[in-house]
Amino acid sequence: MNQLKNFSKGFFKENAVFTLLLGMCPTLGVTSSAIDGLGMGLATTFVLVMSNLVVALIKDFIPDKVRIPSFIVVIATFVTIVEMTMQAYVPALFDSLGLFIPLIVVNCLVLGRAEAFASKNNLGSSIVDGLGMGLGFAMALTMLGSIRELLGSGKLFGTAIFPEDYGMLVFVLAPGAFIALGYLIAFINHVKKEA
Amino acid sequence: MAKTESTLKNMVLTLLVITCVAGASLGGMYELTKGPIAAAKMAKQQAAIKEVVSGFDNNPGDEMYELTSKEGFVLKFFPAKKGDELIGVAIESQTNKGFSGNIKIMVGLKPDGTIINYQVLEHKETPGLGTKMADWFKTDKGNQSILGKHPKNNKLTVSKDGGEVDAITAATISSRAFLDAIRIAFETYTENQSSLPVASNTSTEEGGTE
Amino acid sequence: MNRLTVSPSPHVHSGDSVKKNMYGVIIALVPALAASLYYFGLGAAIVTITAVLSCVFFEWAIQKFLLKTEATIMDGSAALTGLLLAFNMPSNLPIWIIIIGSLVAIGIGKMSFGGLGNNPFNPALVGRIFLLISFPVQMTLWPKPIASQAHYLDAETGATPLSIMKEGLANGESVSSLMNHVDMPSIRELFFGLSGGSAGEVAAAALLIGLIFMLIRKIITWHIPVAVIGSIAVFTGILNLVSPEQFAGPLFHLLTGGVMLGAIFMATDYVSSPMANKGMIIYGIGIGVITVVIRVFGAYPEGVSFAILIMNGFVPLIDKYVKPKRFGEVAKPAKA
Repeated sequence: MNQLKNFSKGFFKENAVFTLLLGMCPTLGVTSSAIDGLGMGLATTFVLVMSNLVVALIKDFIPDKVRIPSFIVVIATFVTIVEMTMQAYVPALFDSLGLFIPLIVVNCLVLGRAEAFASKNNLGSSIVDGLGMGLGFAMALTMLGSIRELLGSGKLFGTAIFPEDYGMLVFVLAPGAFIALGYLIAFINHVKKEA
Repeated sequence: MAKTESTLKNMVLTLLVITCVAGASLGGMYELTKGPIAAAKMAKQQAAIKEVVSGFDNNPGDEMYELTSKEGFVLKFFPAKKGDELIGVAIESQTNKGFSGNIKIMVGLKPDGTIINYQVLEHKETPGLGTKMADWFKTDKGNQSILGKHPKNNKLTVSKDGGEVDAITAATISSRAFLDAIRIAFETYTENQSSLPVASNTSTEEGGTE
Repeated sequence: MNRLTVSPSPHVHSGDSVKKNMYGVIIALVPALAASLYYFGLGAAIVTITAVLSCVFFEWAIQKFLLKTEATIMDGSAALTGLLLAFNMPSNLPIWIIIIGSLVAIGIGKMSFGGLGNNPFNPALVGRIFLLISFPVQMTLWPKPIASQAHYLDAETGATPLSIMKEGLANGESVSSLMNHVDMPSIRELFFGLSGGSAGEVAAAALLIGLIFMLIRKIITWHIPVAVIGSIAVFTGILNLVSPEQFAGPLFHLLTGGVMLGAIFMATDYVSSPMANKGMIIYGIGIGVITVVIRVFGAYPEGVSFAILIMNGFVPLIDKYVKPKRFGEVAKPAKA
């Protein structure tokens, strides 16, 4: 497969959030600000690339019947590494992402790519796939985070755009995540139809 | 290369190898990040203490002691000293009277009990309402501010309950809870002051507060 | 055009139309509007006019520019949504918040689902809840009712009876002492609207006149209002009998907050309520029970709008199991 196509499919055509609707838990849970969305997206990207890499390497050694537990162990290992690294070097981000970092383990996107792509393709394609899907996921989360942060508290990446008193709090809370995601997906579907 | 057969031996072996490798790499990672994690936690605690009591030159974390309040909360006390003189105590206090769950604050008291500053550490209050307590009680506007007040000389309850402090608009319950955490910190501090090894050998100033 | 009546044959038209019914509801709201203008004066006028105009404008703009469909603003449904939204807001709400509320009510609550007839939730309540969560400070500062009020943003504010009750009980006070609280209106005052609250919800008497009008004109049937009011009365009555000092009595609960407005005008919205009479009763009881649960055990002092929205979500389910009787259907013969 063309590597460029393989890379770019994660951004639009097969975007994890907008098209496949995978990984909804972090998508709705941690996107209350753009920086949280970006941090979560990058953490997931790292896990995705590394687990795709390892799965592609070891896929031939793993008996079919235990492939899912093996993948999960690989993924969980990388998630724990991310968790400890974040706790050590970016404690502020670690605090605001909290429980959602360990939850990357059960993000369908990560296991989904390991099972559907990395276990069937070679090393190079798997890394490119992981990178594309991960960055596409990070992009989606950052977009959603930006919208929610701007409407909810009048800021963008922490910079005040308009006074906080005019922000619509609902966008910082859970219902706003659903509303914003719904309209974002509707908009993207509309663009896709036109294209 | 042919795919490994799903025999019992193969499956057990594969899982064993994978988990061992995973375990070993996590162990190594833990060793690597142990230091920085502890340092980050320490820095956070230090920053919080500095925020509520400034101008000390000891390491309050080293002299930390714990006391149990009447309500059964275990409070952490961080004595802040300049040279040998006690200039204040940072108290990590909490209450369960919040609008939703516990509120944890760090409050700095002068040795006589006057409030220096505070910081909200943890809470689950409603965004936009209860969350305002992070700044509300520091803002010098109306009767909002509690800085520089003494819980014994000033009645630190919300005005609705006959006190001197203006509650956060539309968040009376959160305001009450916050002031409750301050009260718990103050009462636990003053009640145990005389019996404390740290407080008693540092200065003579603590007389007058019982 | 009339997409409201999804019922099967016959197709003989009775002369009913969306327009006729919508304007009927608006007429029924006139007494309550008059009461809100009397008690909240200038503020109520500004809030009502802003809400109605911006709802109609947003409906027109969305249909014209986004959906590119025929404009339906003349059927009165957008104006009614605006009016009900205004009735659900404090009369000292800044204009920009009202405009956001109208945009949410029409844009999110109605047009996103495909316009009138397709919205599963009551648009005015979607707008109100959105505002309540987004601007909790402004949405919970209620002006005091003072006859011919000439203040708008700077009107003197006070607590609603429900929040006095809720906070007092949380503080360990008893119901009887709270009923004698300085700011607590008497039952008679509550009935005629002399209490703090949303612009259109305070005067129970005016809302009841509207109910009678709608029943006579057969705009709505009695099922939903009676089920809501009855279930609240029974539930709070039981609680009150069990522990009179801990739970306020049924009369207090019925006359405070949005119970009357909700039961008569919000829950009975055609589109978002069940079709069959039996379904309406189930729906009404659900609203009543959830309202009391939120009021008595929940975090918010008032729960009518949440209750209606929650039960709106159940309407498709209720309609699936409780179907209206087909016209001309013969009762099943008893088993021999």
